[in-house]
Amino acid sequence: MTDLTVRIGRLTLKNPVLTASGTFGYGPEYADYVDLNRLGGLITKTITLEPRGGNPMPRIAEMPAGMLNSIGLANVGVERYLAEKLPLLEKYETAVIANLAGSTVEEYARVVMKVQKHPRVDGIEVNVSCPNVRKGGLAFGTDPDVLCELVRSVRSETDKTVIVKLSPNVTDIRPVAMAAASGGADALSLINTVMGMGIDIRTRKPLISRITAGLSGPAIKPIAMAKVYEAAQAVDLPLIGIGGIMNGEDAVEFLMAGASAVQVGTLNFVDPAGCLKVLEGIETFCREQGIAKVSDLVGAMDHG
Amino acid sequence: MYSEQCPIDEQRSITESVFLLSFTSRAIARTGRPGQFLHIRVRTGIDPLLRRPLSIHRIDPQTGQISLLFRVVGRGTRLLKDMRPGDPLDVMGPLGRGFDLSGNFSRALIVAGGMGGAPVFFLIDALLSLGKQVTLLWGVGDGREIFGTDEYVRKGVDVRVATEDGSLGHRGYVTELLDVFLKTHAQDQSFRGFVCGPECMLLPVQRFARKTVFSWQASLEERMACGVGVCQGCGVRIRNQAEYRMVCKDGPVFDLKEILFHD
Repeated sequence: MTDLTVRIGRLTLKNPVLTASGTFGYGPEYADYVDLNRLGGLITKTITLEPRGGNPMPRIAEMPAGMLNSIGLANVGVERYLAEKLPLLEKYETAVIANLAGSTVEEYARVVMKVQKHPRVDGIEVNVSCPNVRKGGLAFGTDPDVLCELVRSVRSETDKTVIVKLSPNVTDIRPVAMAAASGGADALSLINTVMGMGIDIRTRKPLISRITAGLSGPAIKPIAMAKVYEAAQAVDLPLIGIGGIMNGEDAVEFLMAGASAVQVGTLNFVDPAGCLKVLEGIETFCREQGIAKVSDLVGAMDHG
Repeated sequence: MYSEQCPIDEQRSITESVFLLSFTSRAIARTGRPGQFLHIRVRTGIDPLLRRPLSIHRIDPQTGQISLLFRVVGRGTRLLKDMRPGDPLDVMGPLGRGFDLSGNFSRALIVAGGMGGAPVFFLIDALLSLGKQVTLLWGVGDGREIFGTDEYVRKGVDVRVATEDGSLGHRGYVTELLDVFLKTHAQDQSFRGFVCGPECMLLPVQRFARKTVFSWQASLEERMACGVGVCQGCGVRIRNQAEYRMVCKDGPVFDLKEILFHD
């Protein structure tokens, strides 16, 4: 039996597979298909101080081996999240990580302050990488100084694990990763979606109403792998790899590149039980390879 | 809701581009309702990646056989067309909220356009079993896409067909049949209206519907990713609702008079 537990900041997860924010709702939506207790962790949809309706339609488009989305952080707002959504997760024994965003540093801090008190919240994931909102989001994830200040402010509001979710839409991810680390992050998750776009040449209209959008799915996996590898060289923090993971072998690749855990995103839309198949795939690999602890795979790439 | 691998029983072509595929799933057959849809993964690989939502065409409760009617419009439906009996079909469902057949009405008026015919057979089966009197106005481009109506005519359904090529029934649009029909029935409170088809047809039907005294339910067609309300990709505006409603979860059936198209 392989030891599947992993440490992410102040948290010990029962296994390295989490569901990515925005692809798994607030949790119970997929409970018909997935035994939530088997997940290493569940990251809920990004919440903001006030409810958000999101961007105009069309918001999604299929791409080769991927999809574009520009949902625009549609969410119920922090008050309804606390009152209606979190209580539904009380009966499950999996780590719940609240993903959140704001349009100012103060707004981020206020959401953290409200959320972190809730006993069902085990950790916080700070979204500084949404490419689909006008204010906030990506603006915090591309400037190291701004990011450092934001993370410091979030850090001062909570003793729970703080994960910062990074964008690939930067020239070099290393200074951004280092800024999050020096601001006091416990862990980094990467990557959020890659900026992309498409046009319907018959109607001459963009495929997505806001024109540019975020690309996800297997199409971005090589990009995500490179970013995880680069970040692993730059910071001494646990990393959570995200980007086009479709099976256990994809997940193991991320671990070998330097990730301590992974998030499954777009796969949830394709196969609602996909996250558990990723977990089973990791277990099979470890069994076949005689790996005693899944954490032994972290950064295990043979540089040759 | 189920996620299953179901063996394909039959693949039948109605025309070169319209196909009728059937498979067996007792679980889905037992729980599926008219107007609900199934989310189909046409290939196990990563391209095309997403599932395709297809409304349930018909269910045989005795055998557990379910059929889907679809037109080949792109890569996904082309792969679906190429599947053969015995191949496993990856099916998620039944999903969404179907037609509401409760309440007080004795006559049903169904308007279907093109592939909007897909959910109609299941709807008529349910209406007939409730003892309702049914009128079907069905419009297509090519008359060969009209099939299976003889059975319903025998069961007493008033079937009226419009074809753009004039090969069958009225030459022209289904909305012209609707215009004629409503001249005598628009004020008849014993009716309930149902409409299935593309947005270009729903819009004119909505204008007619708003002049009738009875209620109308429309089944919307939309591209989707998750199919269960999680990705928030298939929104529709509904009058007096501040936020988008999701076609996959809150629909695909909505009150026709309240839908705000192009908003």
